[in-house]
Amino acid sequence: MELFEIYLPVAGIHFNVLVLLLIGFTVGVCGGFFGIGGAWIVTPALNIFGFPMPYAIGTDLAHIGGKSIVSTIRHGKFGNVDVRLGVAMILGTTIGMELGANLVIKLEQMGLAESLIRKLYIVFLGLIGSYVLYDYVSHTRRQRRVQAGIEVAPTGETVAQKLQRIKIPPMIHFRASGITCSLWLPVLVGLSTGLVAAVLGVGGGFIRMPALIYLIGCPTAVAVGTDLFEVMITGAYGAFTYGVKGRVELIAAMWMLFAAAVGAQLGTVAIKYVRGYSIRLLFAITIFVACSSVILKQLELQLASAVTILVAGIGISLVIIAWLVKGVVDERAGRLPANHG
Amino acid sequence: MRRGQLTTWARAGGAALCSWTLAVPALAAGGGKGASKLVNVADTRQLEPGLSRWMAGVYNESYWLFGLLVVAVMVGMGVVLGMATDKAVSMLGINLGKISHHE
Repeated sequence: MELFEIYLPVAGIHFNVLVLLLIGFTVGVCGGFFGIGGAWIVTPALNIFGFPMPYAIGTDLAHIGGKSIVSTIRHGKFGNVDVRLGVAMILGTTIGMELGANLVIKLEQMGLAESLIRKLYIVFLGLIGSYVLYDYVSHTRRQRRVQAGIEVAPTGETVAQKLQRIKIPPMIHFRASGITCSLWLPVLVGLSTGLVAAVLGVGGGFIRMPALIYLIGCPTAVAVGTDLFEVMITGAYGAFTYGVKGRVELIAAMWMLFAAAVGAQLGTVAIKYVRGYSIRLLFAITIFVACSSVILKQLELQLASAVTILVAGIGISLVIIAWLVKGVVDERAGRLPANHG
Repeated sequence: MRRGQLTTWARAGGAALCSWTLAVPALAAGGGKGASKLVNVADTRQLEPGLSRWMAGVYNESYWLFGLLVVAVMVGMGVVLGMATDKAVSMLGINLGKISHHE
């Protein structure tokens, strides 16, 4: 294995290239499929293999910027990126993140930051995961009843539809998402998700992706693509800020990006063969995994937490690739209409 | 007399400076926790001339320049790899046109 060892001059450590490629590929597949940056996999994974924490975060953010470009290019060609919506949200996200960062500093001064944030993180992810799972289960039950010819009660107005009815000018039509709403809706959703993301110390994909679906009313695939568009911009900014602080191991980021580019392409193309609700189901499972890793961390089981994340990340990537392969085989055999999405 | 006073002040000043210089690291080290590195330097001694060494050199020269280099490399690689992998996937014969959304 020494053959694959490289010296990383900034972090001052020797590291195995194969590990970097494995981490990069895993996070690439998950990121392209769910529309998330994947910091929850990369940072602990790099850390358990010997990266000092500040370099793990900086290197992760750097490669996320590059990887998201790969996914956004492909999602854009699929028609899954709503640039207008993404730009409107970035405005709110930036302000929200700044407010959140100030709130964290206040909490730190009160000596509450560490424990409170971790508990909030667990509660928040638990709630989001549970809601997405509940939505999946009720949708599946409904579909089964419809297929069995049993009459089902009409569903009420969704939260997103109620929010879209608020007519505060300027009203904007978001073509890729197929929705018309007040500009203030995405700005405020961006602001609140940015605030929560900054307080919890996460990139935001975990919160923004479901917010795009349930609060704004985007189709799942558009939520994934638009979220990646945002991750691309915040990732580039993060790469720069950590770069000027000297906390990016650029050589490691480049190796990870090679594998992440391949993974991101596969993860993104897999979206084409999977229905929106199946994406939501796997997303809920992913959230629960991230949540349980934080619980393990809270119990001071650092190694178990990082191993759980890495193993689960690899497992989830394999499921996505299996769906991709099945989809391609079915399409070639003529069992699927082209571009069914 | 005046000259003597000046010499005394100069001596006192010199002694204060020396004490400060000696005391600061001692205070920092005696603060309980280990003192962290104030300036990070990439160790280029183990590197052969090439890309790694050049990047480490930029890092040692200026963090600002390094920050710009990080963004330029990541964005550049993202665009090139994005187009290359896109081409590779399309060569597999998968239809990569716009998709209609089915929930």
